[in-house]
Amino acid sequence: MTSPSITSTRSLLRTLAPVAVVLTVMGIALMSSGYVVTVIGFAAIYGIFCTGLNFFMGYTGQASFGQNAFACLGGYGSAILCGGLYWDPLPAFFVSMAFSGIVAAIIGYPTLKLRGHYLAMATFALGLITYEISIEWVSLTQGYMGYSGIPPLGVGKFELVSEKHQLIALTVILLVGIWISTRLRDSRFGRALRAIAGSEPAAQALGVNVARYKLLAFVIAALYASAAGSLFAHFIGFISPEVFGGAMVVQSFTMLYLGGIGTTWGPAIGALIVSMLPEFLRGLKEMQDIAYAIILVSILIFAPRGVFALIGGWFRPKAKEGDAP
Amino acid sequence: MDFRTTAVAAALCLGLFAQGATAQTYKIGASLGLTGYAAINDRAWRDGMQIAADVMNAKGGILGKKVELFVEDNRSEPQEAVVGYRKMMSNDGVQIFDSGCVSAGNFAAAGAVVRASIPMVLCSILPARPEEQKWAFSTLPPPRFEIESRFRYLKEKTDIRKIGILHDPSPYAMMMKDLATKIAPDFGLEVVATASYKQDDSDMSVQVGQVNSAGGGAIVKMGQGGSTVTIAKNIKQLGLEKMLLLASLDDGSVFKQGGEVLGDRFLFVATSVQIPEAIPAGPARDAAGVFLKLWNEKYPGRDPNAGARGWDSMSIIAKAADVGKSLEGPAMRDALEKVSGFQGAITVYNFSPEQHVGITANPFTIGVARDGKLVVK
Repeated sequence: MTSPSITSTRSLLRTLAPVAVVLTVMGIALMSSGYVVTVIGFAAIYGIFCTGLNFFMGYTGQASFGQNAFACLGGYGSAILCGGLYWDPLPAFFVSMAFSGIVAAIIGYPTLKLRGHYLAMATFALGLITYEISIEWVSLTQGYMGYSGIPPLGVGKFELVSEKHQLIALTVILLVGIWISTRLRDSRFGRALRAIAGSEPAAQALGVNVARYKLLAFVIAALYASAAGSLFAHFIGFISPEVFGGAMVVQSFTMLYLGGIGTTWGPAIGALIVSMLPEFLRGLKEMQDIAYAIILVSILIFAPRGVFALIGGWFRPKAKEGDAP
Repeated sequence: MDFRTTAVAAALCLGLFAQGATAQTYKIGASLGLTGYAAINDRAWRDGMQIAADVMNAKGGILGKKVELFVEDNRSEPQEAVVGYRKMMSNDGVQIFDSGCVSAGNFAAAGAVVRASIPMVLCSILPARPEEQKWAFSTLPPPRFEIESRFRYLKEKTDIRKIGILHDPSPYAMMMKDLATKIAPDFGLEVVATASYKQDDSDMSVQVGQVNSAGGGAIVKMGQGGSTVTIAKNIKQLGLEKMLLLASLDDGSVFKQGGEVLGDRFLFVATSVQIPEAIPAGPARDAAGVFLKLWNEKYPGRDPNAGARGWDSMSIIAKAADVGKSLEGPAMRDALEKVSGFQGAITVYNFSPEQHVGITANPFTIGVARDGKLVVK
C-alpha cells in the first residue's frame, strides 16, 4: 500500500526533478566556457520551439512539418525590426510573435481542415514556401548573404551583452514557456486538445469544437516557434535561410520524440539531449554521426515514449494490487 | 613522500609540462564544411592546409612554434559553424582562424571572433559589417575576375553578343549575377535571360530553353558543383548545337565531365595550378611548382585548386607572422594588412588596410577539357 505522504512526495519530486535538471545544466553551463554556453543556449532555444510544437503534435495529436516557417518569421521579424529599423529587441520580439500568430491563424484556418498525411504535406509545403521566400526576397531578407548586426536581447538601453546573461534570460523564458504549457495542459483547454488527440469524432460528440481548438493549438505552436526564431537571432546576432531550413524540422522532431511527445518537460529534455550529445561525441570525428545515430536509436528502442516518460515512471506512484488500471 | 604528495607533485609537473607544450604551438582553427554542399572545396582546403602545416613544422614552425591545426566540421550550416568556432575559441584556444568557404557560417561566427580579437583568413567572401571586415581577410578572387575573363573571351574570340545567365542562390553566385548584368554592356554583350536554379536540381532544361528562346548564344553559369554537368547535358539533349557553356571556377572533375559532354563548347575559368603549363616561367611557376609537387605526391590525380588556396592561406599567415614578429591576435591582424606582393601557388596576394581581399589581379585562364586533361583554350 502506498501512503498519501509517499504519493505526494513522489508527485512533488516528479514536478521538481525536471526543474532541477534544467537549472543544474544551466548552472553548469554558466560556470563553463563560451562553447558550453553556446550549446546550452541553442538547447534552450530549441526547447522553447519544441514546447510549442508539442501543443500541436503532442497534446492535439496533429502533424506539422512546417513549424520552421514561424521560427523564420520570428527570426527575420526581429532581425529586420532591430537590425534594419533600429527597434528595441523587446517590442520587436512581441510584434514578430503577433505577426506569426496572425499568419498562423490565416493559414491554419483552411489548412487544418486537412487530416493525417494531407495535413503533414500542407504544413511541409508551408515550411518550404517560407524558406524559398527567405532566399528569394533579397531586398527584405538579404537572401543567402544573411542578416547580420542584430543586437542582443535587452530592454531599452540595457543589453544582455554577455553570452552568460543571455543564457540566463533564455532559461527564464524556457521555464516560463514550460510553465504555461503545463498550466494549459491541465486546463479545460488542454483536456479538449487531448480529447482531439484521442479521437476527433469522439471529441466532437462531447461538444469540443475540434476546428477551433486545433487552430488555437496551431497558433500557440506558431507563437512559441516565433519566439524561438527571435531568440536565435538575438543570441547569435546573425541569421540566414539555412538556419530555418529542413534540418530544423528534423532536429525538432528528434527532440520531441526523444524527450517524450505529449509530456510537458519532454521537449525541453529532448532538446538538451539532442544538443549536447553530438558535442560529447565530437572527439570521434568521422565516427561521430554513426555513434550519434546508434545512441538515438537505442534510446528510442528502450524508451519508446521518450526519456521524460521513462524517468517520470520512476516517480509515479505504484498502483496497488487490485487497483483499477 | 606519501602517495598523495607524490600524486599532487606529478599532477603539477604534468600540468606545467602541458602548459609548456601548449606555449610551444601556434594554434590555427578552421571551420570547414567537410560534409554538406561545401565539402568538395573545404576538404581540399583542409588538405592543402595540412600539407602547409607539415612543411612549416618540418622547418621549425612559425616564429619557432609548431603549427597545430584544429579543424571542426560545420556541415555547411551556420548554426554548426557557430558551435565549432566557439569550441575552438574557448576550449582549444586557437589564436587565428583559417576557415573555409561556408560564407554564412563565417558570417554567423564573425561577431564573437572579432570580440575575442582573433583574425580570420577566409576562403569565403568577407562579412558584411565593417567592424567584422577589419578582422577578416579573404583569399577568394573577387567575383568580377571570373566574369571579366569569360566576357572578354566571348567578346574577343566569338561573335556571340546575346547571353543568358544561370545562377544558384549562394551569396557568391548572386553577387556575380548582379555584377555580370551590370558590366555586360562594357563588353558589348546583352543579357537576354537570367534564371536561377538550386544546386541539387536534376534537370535545367527549362532554364536552358529560356536562354535559347531569348536568342542567347551562350550560357554564363554562376555557381559550382554537379549542376554544371547537368546544364551541359541539358544543352546536348535539347540539340542546341551552337550554344556555349562558360562555367565558374570549380573542381577539375566537374570540368572534365562537362568537356566529355560538350567538347570545346564547354569552357571554364581555371586557376594557374589547374593548368600549370599556362604559367610563364618565373616566381609564379616556381611557387605553384613547390605546392603541386607535394600535392601530386600525396593526392595524385586530384584537382589542386582548393588545396592550393588552403596552402596559400597558411603561407599568408606565416608571412604575416614574419612581418609582424608576433603571434598575438591584434599584431597578426595588423601584420596581415602588410602582406603585399606575396607570391602564392595561385597568384600574388596584396593586402592593405583598405584591401582585405588579397587577390587584386585577375588570376584566371579560360580552359577546355580535352582527352581528360585541362588545357588553355
